[in-house]
Amino acid sequence: MIDQLFGFLSYYVPEIISIVLMTTLLVAEAGVKDEHAPRTKIHVYTQLMLGVVLVCLMLNLGAKPLHIFYNAVTIDPFSTLVKIIMTVGTMGAVFLSHTSKDIYSNLKSEFSIMAVGVLIGGMLLASANNMLTLYLGIETLSILSYVLSSFKRDESASTEAGMKYALYGGLSAGVALFGISHLYGVLGSIQFVDMVAKLPGIEGVNLAIVMISFLMFFVGIGYKISLFPFHMWTPDVYQGSPIPVTSFFAIVPKMAGVASLVRVSFVFVQEGSPLAISWIGLILVIAAMTMTVGNVTAIGQTSVKRLLAFSSIGHVGMMILGVVVMNEAGVQAILFYGIVYLFMTLIAFYITSHLSDMYGTDSYDVFRGLIYKHPVMAIIMASVLFSLAGMPPFSGFIAKFNIFSVIIQKKHYGIALVAAINSVIALYYYMKLAKTMIFGTPQGEEKVLGFTTLNQTVIIALFIPVIFLGIFWDSAMALAGNATLFIK
Amino acid sequence: MNGILNWILWLPIIGMIGVILTPKAKESVIKFVTLLTTSITLILSVLLYLKFDTSTADMQFVVKIPWIEQFHINYFLGIDGITMLMTFLNALLFFICTLSSWTIHKNVKAYFALLLMLQSTVFGVFFALDFFLFYVYWEVMLLPMFFLIGIWGGENREYAAIKFFLYTFFGSIFMLVGIIALYYATGKGVDSFNILAHQGGKFTELTVNVFGKTFSFEHLFFWFMFLGFAIKVPVFPFHTWLPHAHVQAPTAVSVILAGVLLKMGTYGFLRIAFPIFPMAAVESSTIIAVLGLISVIYGAFCAMAQDDVKKLVAYSSVSHMGFVMLGLAAMTTQGMNGAVLQMFNHGTSTAMMFLLIGILYERSHHRWIVKPDGSKGYGGLSTKLPKYTTVFIIGMFASLGLPGLSGFISEALIFLGIYQRFTTITVIAVVGLLIGAAYLLWMFKRMFFGEVNPETEEYDDMNAREVFYMLPLCVAVIVFGIYPSPLLNVMKASVGQLVDLLAKF
Repeated sequence: MIDQLFGFLSYYVPEIISIVLMTTLLVAEAGVKDEHAPRTKIHVYTQLMLGVVLVCLMLNLGAKPLHIFYNAVTIDPFSTLVKIIMTVGTMGAVFLSHTSKDIYSNLKSEFSIMAVGVLIGGMLLASANNMLTLYLGIETLSILSYVLSSFKRDESASTEAGMKYALYGGLSAGVALFGISHLYGVLGSIQFVDMVAKLPGIEGVNLAIVMISFLMFFVGIGYKISLFPFHMWTPDVYQGSPIPVTSFFAIVPKMAGVASLVRVSFVFVQEGSPLAISWIGLILVIAAMTMTVGNVTAIGQTSVKRLLAFSSIGHVGMMILGVVVMNEAGVQAILFYGIVYLFMTLIAFYITSHLSDMYGTDSYDVFRGLIYKHPVMAIIMASVLFSLAGMPPFSGFIAKFNIFSVIIQKKHYGIALVAAINSVIALYYYMKLAKTMIFGTPQGEEKVLGFTTLNQTVIIALFIPVIFLGIFWDSAMALAGNATLFIK
Repeated sequence: MNGILNWILWLPIIGMIGVILTPKAKESVIKFVTLLTTSITLILSVLLYLKFDTSTADMQFVVKIPWIEQFHINYFLGIDGITMLMTFLNALLFFICTLSSWTIHKNVKAYFALLLMLQSTVFGVFFALDFFLFYVYWEVMLLPMFFLIGIWGGENREYAAIKFFLYTFFGSIFMLVGIIALYYATGKGVDSFNILAHQGGKFTELTVNVFGKTFSFEHLFFWFMFLGFAIKVPVFPFHTWLPHAHVQAPTAVSVILAGVLLKMGTYGFLRIAFPIFPMAAVESSTIIAVLGLISVIYGAFCAMAQDDVKKLVAYSSVSHMGFVMLGLAAMTTQGMNGAVLQMFNHGTSTAMMFLLIGILYERSHHRWIVKPDGSKGYGGLSTKLPKYTTVFIIGMFASLGLPGLSGFISEALIFLGIYQRFTTITVIAVVGLLIGAAYLLWMFKRMFFGEVNPETEEYDDMNAREVFYMLPLCVAVIVFGIYPSPLLNVMKASVGQLVDLLAKF
């Protein structure tokens, strides 16, 4: 008993460190005397601890898949890689929050606390191996997210965002739980392994219940990664939230959701079973709709934050196509996409954040003529936009290429065409922003204060993988390939 | 000698880095660095020509280095007779464009850096024998073009740049689907991204299922590739981006666009669409010929209607590239040879036209033959600008296909070739030639003859720099008009191989 619980703790170090970090942050914040003091030390401490988490995770990458805590949690290279992506995303968001004016000065360390909390939820979700852990993960992730999105307390948009997020989130979590409880009723277990074992024997009414319950359960995940038709909350929440929160939302909860979708799909759906056909068909249609709705709606946006929100919906639609093919290559493509998406999103939000801090708005106009004021930043932003659109030689192209590759391998030519047309639509709105930045004439001569040497260095450092993974991508692919071990 | 393609490909990038490292204020240093780079590239491509073995259709100067092992993607370069001509054309035109861009004063550094990057990517498209590499270069090429049109273009440049980019991207994304489908159709083996290994009609038996309907693999993906290349050529009805891009682009970029970039489309047919899907190509040749014919006639009529001289030449490009499509659709030895020759000859003659319009524009700051208010834009230029008029006459007659100049030979070969297969189309296409002569001569009359327009009296004739960079092109259109064998010999083996392959289906 004791062995079962404590013997495996050593595999759980990253999570434990994160929990310690969260609690110590609470204490540290309580000790801050001046409410508006810049919490540099607290931020450095957060980054260092997250760095330790990152190192622990990296060391875990090679480990064999392992089920711990009575099968509640799986530690395998897949979950570890997703956790790495989420941790880097958290570090990025925390770094941004330190200087961002969008986070009020008295809430700086609260942001870190919440972000680390969401990270813990995401980690739980990524390695969930039974329904209860999965549900706990979703809830930990969500409840703290609701708070994060209403961080700009005195702005109605932010309050509205929090409210909307909570309402939608509560409802969809309820629906998911309802589905899970029926699954438990029919299958008699919450453990993935036992549930899978009983699935083939299910027939008649029970099969119908199982299928509908899975659909309900899918609502919960679909909502978290804002799949069509559960994406309605995304633009408003993304726009209402402060930019560091938005960038955080675009990465951590999304990756966690995608990870759980992947795991659930691979655990429950065996090729050829009745569940498989409906599940794959469902994801296929949802993916096509998600990317089309995301990309088409993005065209008309005037706020860059909202544009990135819609484009992230489009990207998730593209990413989950990797689930449709139900093989290792698909998961490999998703993970590679995730890695690339992390860097691109961080840079796009960083630059948007600094400009929005300077001018108080995130409309296209603040980007006008950026090339004349900050040529390096403008070139990086333009490159990231082209990368997001999937242009070579940037890594976004390789990510897109991998997805196309796996779906064409399975001969899903129809969806490949839908994805192809979506790339063109996506290119159009990214190009519109790039155009404003490079062809437009700046309104003033002033330099953007946010582009300090430190910030520019960080942006350039984040940009290196965007280029590097576009040209020499075999090592990252191997890493992603190694993470697909859990698939039998 | 094997590394020479590497040098030609990467030298412009080295030059680009040199340009970037030069301080912004030293504009003349930047220009000389670019000129040095492009002239070395030109010399290397002449060397390449001298070393080129014309007796074989095999790829020469091959470079093959593994790039992404998991997918069997290689850094795989090589040239045959067709690419040899395009390489030389590309090197020559960029050298000339550097000289013609001497008058650029806006963001000199960025301009020349992008120009060199463009040159490298165009070489990349022509050299690449690996599908992945080809696609990467094909797409990357759009980036410098987008910025060159969008920053240094005319009034409506943003619209033109976006339209150009989106159109080409739309075509190439379908090509990407085709490339990946080919990769899996050949079983992910070591040669799955090797363009040469796919050639020879290996996919005639396969079928694919799209949205529940069964298609022939060969036909479906032939049309995917066709879309990608036809937009680039551009073939009617995909030509609508071209006039905008040309009119808005700065002179040098127009020259490159018409001179080499359009040829990438027809090159795609020659290297990829036809040899890989020969059955579909042969079966669709009537459609291709009809589209080519419409381009010829429609492009010529559109050109006739233009009041903007640059737009006129842009539409004449549509018309002349239509001839290339006709030659390709003929699938006979003469037709194919004529098509490739026309690719080269159109490159030189249209480059002349665009450069000449650029020279005039620098003096008049407009391009109207007839201004929107109805008054004449030019008039009687021949009396004031003798040198300019002489060069213009050479360029114009080369363009309309006067015997003795380069355009004639290629068009004659195309007609010889296509007559054997599509008699009616040939007869109608000849009318296109007539309309071509009509609009060019009419333009010439309105601009160069008649009363001297008072606005044009002060114009200077061509200066030494302008004469210097027009000279190689004048020599090319005259010499290759009289004696085309140096070009025909180079391409003979490669074209012959393709014609033999197509004859089997």
